[in-house]
Amino acid sequence: MQTKTYRITNMECPNCAIILESIEDKLPGIRSARASYKTGEMTVTFDEQLVSEAEIITAIQKKGYIIGAVKTE
Amino acid sequence: MIEQYLLAFITGLTTGGLSCLAVQGGLLASSLANQIERDLLQTPSAPPKKAKHPIRPKRPNAALPILLFLSAKLVAYTLLGLLLGWLGSFLAFDPITRAGLMIVIAIFMVGNGLRMLNVHPFFRNFVIEPPRFITRAIRKTAVRNETTAGPDTATPLFLGALTVFIPCGVTQAMMAAALGLGNPLSAALFMFAFTLGTSPVFFFIAYFATQVGATLEKHFMRFVAIVVLFLGLVTFDNALNLLGAPSVSGILTTQQANASTAEAADTLTLQAENNGYVPARLTARADSPITLTIITENTTSCARDFVIPALKYYVLLPVSGTETVQIPPQPAGTTMRFTCSMGMYTGLIEFK
Repeated sequence: MQTKTYRITNMECPNCAIILESIEDKLPGIRSARASYKTGEMTVTFDEQLVSEAEIITAIQKKGYIIGAVKTE
Repeated sequence: MIEQYLLAFITGLTTGGLSCLAVQGGLLASSLANQIERDLLQTPSAPPKKAKHPIRPKRPNAALPILLFLSAKLVAYTLLGLLLGWLGSFLAFDPITRAGLMIVIAIFMVGNGLRMLNVHPFFRNFVIEPPRFITRAIRKTAVRNETTAGPDTATPLFLGALTVFIPCGVTQAMMAAALGLGNPLSAALFMFAFTLGTSPVFFFIAYFATQVGATLEKHFMRFVAIVVLFLGLVTFDNALNLLGAPSVSGILTTQQANASTAEAADTLTLQAENNGYVPARLTARADSPITLTIITENTTSCARDFVIPALKYYVLLPVSGTETVQIPPQPAGTTMRFTCSMGMYTGLIEFK
């Protein structure tokens, strides 16, 4: 299990967090996806056996969001 | 008292709709599924739209989910009004408490306006994020909506009702006003009128969302931010009136009113009319007890709720009739301000 925190540079309202978190429902292997408009960050915990980080990044980008810095916990 | 409901409706129609759309637009978008959601939230990677049929919306049945969303919102806010009125019946709002509440609301609105203008990330703290379980429920419902074939009535109804958890700045101001009414039925009707007023803007924007490009959407949001910012400043100014402090609106009102040419008198007469106090500037004799007679004639606006902040005097005037206020002697040069309980209508008494 891996946890990554992505800086999302173009979140413009609290609803962006709801949209971002919806990747949890679409990609198998994501244990939790937490986005916060206040911090402008999204933390994703995932099983790297089931989903790759590249797939997660693509899913975020597909929703129209731009990823800045990435932190690994 | 029909005017107060009319005022609530007009507030919703003019400013509430824009402000609420900025906060709750995403919920409406979720209920309308991905395509409209992408347009409303200005997805940068969204493919350019080919407006071959500009009059026909992409979703033939787009009107139905929007109407369901707005109907649920209307019912939810009416019930909220009922609750607020009931709670308000246990509370007594003196002008100072009301002014304090208005200042908090004003700060909130200004902060939100600056947030929407992306002035600084600090202003993101002014946003009220719905609790996690609510966002989860919204998401699950939206996902179900996307995967369901045919029209889904439950999703827009559910999401519309959920808007009570993310009220915008103007709505919060109206909620405070509803609380102040102190009567469940009046407050419910008040919130109904306001929410009904916000509906046309919601409907119009959502229905034509697929026709509006991302650039226009961005400009629109900027406009909403400026309106919210302006409303915040107006609310703050009204709060100053209620505290008896100098305010922009107070200065403008009294400057417009001609200085009383009459001699400073012991007895003063003031007309409380639907659109303010006449004259807005009175001259009283200094160091002498003053009798102020306030006359109303079919006055149903908030001018009826008469306040002299310096005396901590508050009275609800009759719709038609007279009320007398005894003002203790004041030294020459004193300026005593009076206002309605909303801080909207103002005037002053100068002691000479």
